[in-house]
Amino acid sequence: MSATAAHTAPSAALRFVRGINVGVAIFLVLYGTIAVLQPSYFEVEGFLNFLRRAAPLIILACGQLFVIAGGGFDLSMGSLVTLTVLGGSMLAGGNPENTWWTIGVLYLIGLGVGLVNGLVVTLLKVPSIIATLGMLLSLNGAALMWSGGAPRGYLPENFRALGRLVYREVPVTGIMPLSVIILIGFVALAAWLLHATVFGRQVLAVGDNPRAAELAGVPVGATRVLVFVISALSAVTAGILLGGFAGVSTAVGQGLELQAIAACVIGGAQLLGGRASVTGAVAGSLSLFALFTLLNLMGLPQPLRETVQGLILIAAVASSAWRMRRA
Amino acid sequence: MSAATPVLSMRGIGKSFTGVRALDDVSLDCHAGEVHAICGENGAGKSTLMKVLGGVYRPDEGEILLGGQPVAFRHPVEARRAGISIIHQELSLLPERSVADNIFLGLEPTRSGLLDRAVMQNGARRLLERVGARVHPGALVKSLSIAEQQLVEIAKALALDASIIVMDEPTAALDDRDAGRLLELVGTLRREGAAVLYISHRMAELKAIADRITVLKDGKLVATHTAAALTPAMIVRLMVGRDLADFFPTPGDPAKLGPIVLSVQDGGNAVLADIALDLRAGEIVGIAGLEGSGKGALGRALFGDEPFTRGRMMIDGHEGLISSPRTAIAAGIGFLSDDRKREGIAPQQSLRDNVLMTLRAFAQRLLPPGSGAMARTAADRQLTEVDVRAAGFAQEIRELSGGNQQKVVIGRWLARDPKLLIFLEPTRGIDVAAKAAIYQLMRSLADRGRAILMISSDLPEIIGVSDRVIVMHEGRLAGELKRGASEEQVMHLALGTGATEAAA
Repeated sequence: MSATAAHTAPSAALRFVRGINVGVAIFLVLYGTIAVLQPSYFEVEGFLNFLRRAAPLIILACGQLFVIAGGGFDLSMGSLVTLTVLGGSMLAGGNPENTWWTIGVLYLIGLGVGLVNGLVVTLLKVPSIIATLGMLLSLNGAALMWSGGAPRGYLPENFRALGRLVYREVPVTGIMPLSVIILIGFVALAAWLLHATVFGRQVLAVGDNPRAAELAGVPVGATRVLVFVISALSAVTAGILLGGFAGVSTAVGQGLELQAIAACVIGGAQLLGGRASVTGAVAGSLSLFALFTLLNLMGLPQPLRETVQGLILIAAVASSAWRMRRA
Repeated sequence: MSAATPVLSMRGIGKSFTGVRALDDVSLDCHAGEVHAICGENGAGKSTLMKVLGGVYRPDEGEILLGGQPVAFRHPVEARRAGISIIHQELSLLPERSVADNIFLGLEPTRSGLLDRAVMQNGARRLLERVGARVHPGALVKSLSIAEQQLVEIAKALALDASIIVMDEPTAALDDRDAGRLLELVGTLRREGAAVLYISHRMAELKAIADRITVLKDGKLVATHTAAALTPAMIVRLMVGRDLADFFPTPGDPAKLGPIVLSVQDGGNAVLADIALDLRAGEIVGIAGLEGSGKGALGRALFGDEPFTRGRMMIDGHEGLISSPRTAIAAGIGFLSDDRKREGIAPQQSLRDNVLMTLRAFAQRLLPPGSGAMARTAADRQLTEVDVRAAGFAQEIRELSGGNQQKVVIGRWLARDPKLLIFLEPTRGIDVAAKAAIYQLMRSLADRGRAILMISSDLPEIIGVSDRVIVMHEGRLAGELKRGASEEQVMHLALGTGATEAAA
């Protein structure tokens, strides 16, 4: 009797610990620290502004999450962000009338990039990490060629509004950035797609065991192509928001793909597929962004930020491996 | 036997994992020149006991004596150094390295600090000859069949020159010819004075080579007897704690055979030729043959995994070409792979997600995952119907025993109500009780109007379950036998020594 009780107690405790998303816990600690240093972060307005700046990373992480869940990586996201920002300014040329068709063209480019990534991985059987690395280099090159090596043109005001417009005198919250509304819509869409559709289950099955999925009749190739399309479309969305408040530069998307992967892993997604959650990816991105904010507030230089990001990634992967072993 | 000190003696071994008693007061010994067989259902504690012996786990209680001296291994390497060689059920070979590299992994012969390739190649060749593997020492392991890999694994164990050899279901992946050769090898090792602990589910083997047999059940030792004193029925009774009178199901009624579900004419591809086959609703057709006879390839061709490139196929009266598993499934065919881990389950997904995988594969992508026929209640009904034993249906499937995983994969197909089910080695590595359950399931599926094609290397199963048996040899159908054929008749055809005309 007592032996049974002794055995159920730790396993229940263990289950509780496993139930908490690491990303959520890390985020709460980091955000708390930021708010202590900078009390305005405790206010709704401060938090919404924080969300506004974190929005592109969260959107990227949600897109990346589909590729990771399906057992791959998308390294081309960051360079697609750069291409979106540079291409957007070239196409629109500062004329507000051009904004809407420019955005349409940018999404078409995203669709093309995703299709090519997906088809190279499925038809040519190139590992996704290599295929998308190739895409990263090509897109960077294309962005530089198109813009002639330096950013030209500028984004019209109504284009930039998507990233930086803030509605004032909103009931309850006081302010509401447009990008936060876009963010909420996007995250809801991603959560629905991954967790509440047949497609989401197909992605997880393909990521967990592609051979078994194929022999069970799952359209493995189509599923893989679709996750790369989702990833690319989310990169374009993130690029549009980023262009709004970061401005036009050739380095705007640099390294974002790795941040997105890190965010997914911190949020408990399993590299090589089969396990992923949108809540986790959002919490992971918020943690990572809170960390950058904190390091900034503390006045740490950029190289140190990158070093810390690397260490965090290793720690997150190690902790998820540790939790898997306990499972 | 009692006069000599046993080479190996395990005394009162106990081991628990987070509250589960995996081993409880197990004592057994093994003398030089003795084959001591250990049997028990999956989960009985056999593998845990071997892992304790091999230094993978440390026992909570009890001690291990080697030649009368107590030892305590902290690491598998220490057990290996002490002369204990374990051939695990899961192959531990490195696929991208050569056979010779694998055999001498960790024991590489060197000359003045450099790898001595010549000694390695020759040593590997000698060991491979000894285990009867026709494999080149320089071949990459990934290019070998599972059976060949198993033999390489055994050669690797012999390289150690161990005094105690543990074999965990070594013949599970082998056909009868290779298994026979392996049993001869065990006999040789015994004559040379090795102490062999031999884990197996195959009764015929136990009778053929074991000197003594120990039966484990639920982590406890049930009995140790001399092999001569036990009949297979007695062993089964000790293992499961009850009689398995109806181990094989009653045969189907030939009068109730339905229409032809699938018919192949002149089917062929790179490994198959002249395949002509009619499968009827309501029958279980067994396909027998040696490793490499093409029996597995036939199943994969019918399912479109490695499709036929020649010939004609009629499915349900319609001419059709099956070019991929997806088209096969759409045409009403289901398939159970012989490699459950790699080709059957999505290990981290729940039982429900696994059992619904095929239904969802053909559903609209944007539907909710639990809509219509994919509802949770439907999944649970399916899992209950195939009698899956699990803590809960939300559990990850990797936590289940092989037999229960197999039932989930069968349930996945039943959800789509297929006309033909192809079972590839349906009971490989599954314990006796789960085997019987799967045979009954196959029978009841056939009785309800499905055609079953059972491809198996297990002759008793082929003969006991099939309504008719088709034997393959070198990629062709060598002949067909009615129910009640003997193992000898099957082997004749499989070896190509019986004329096709002789078959019924």
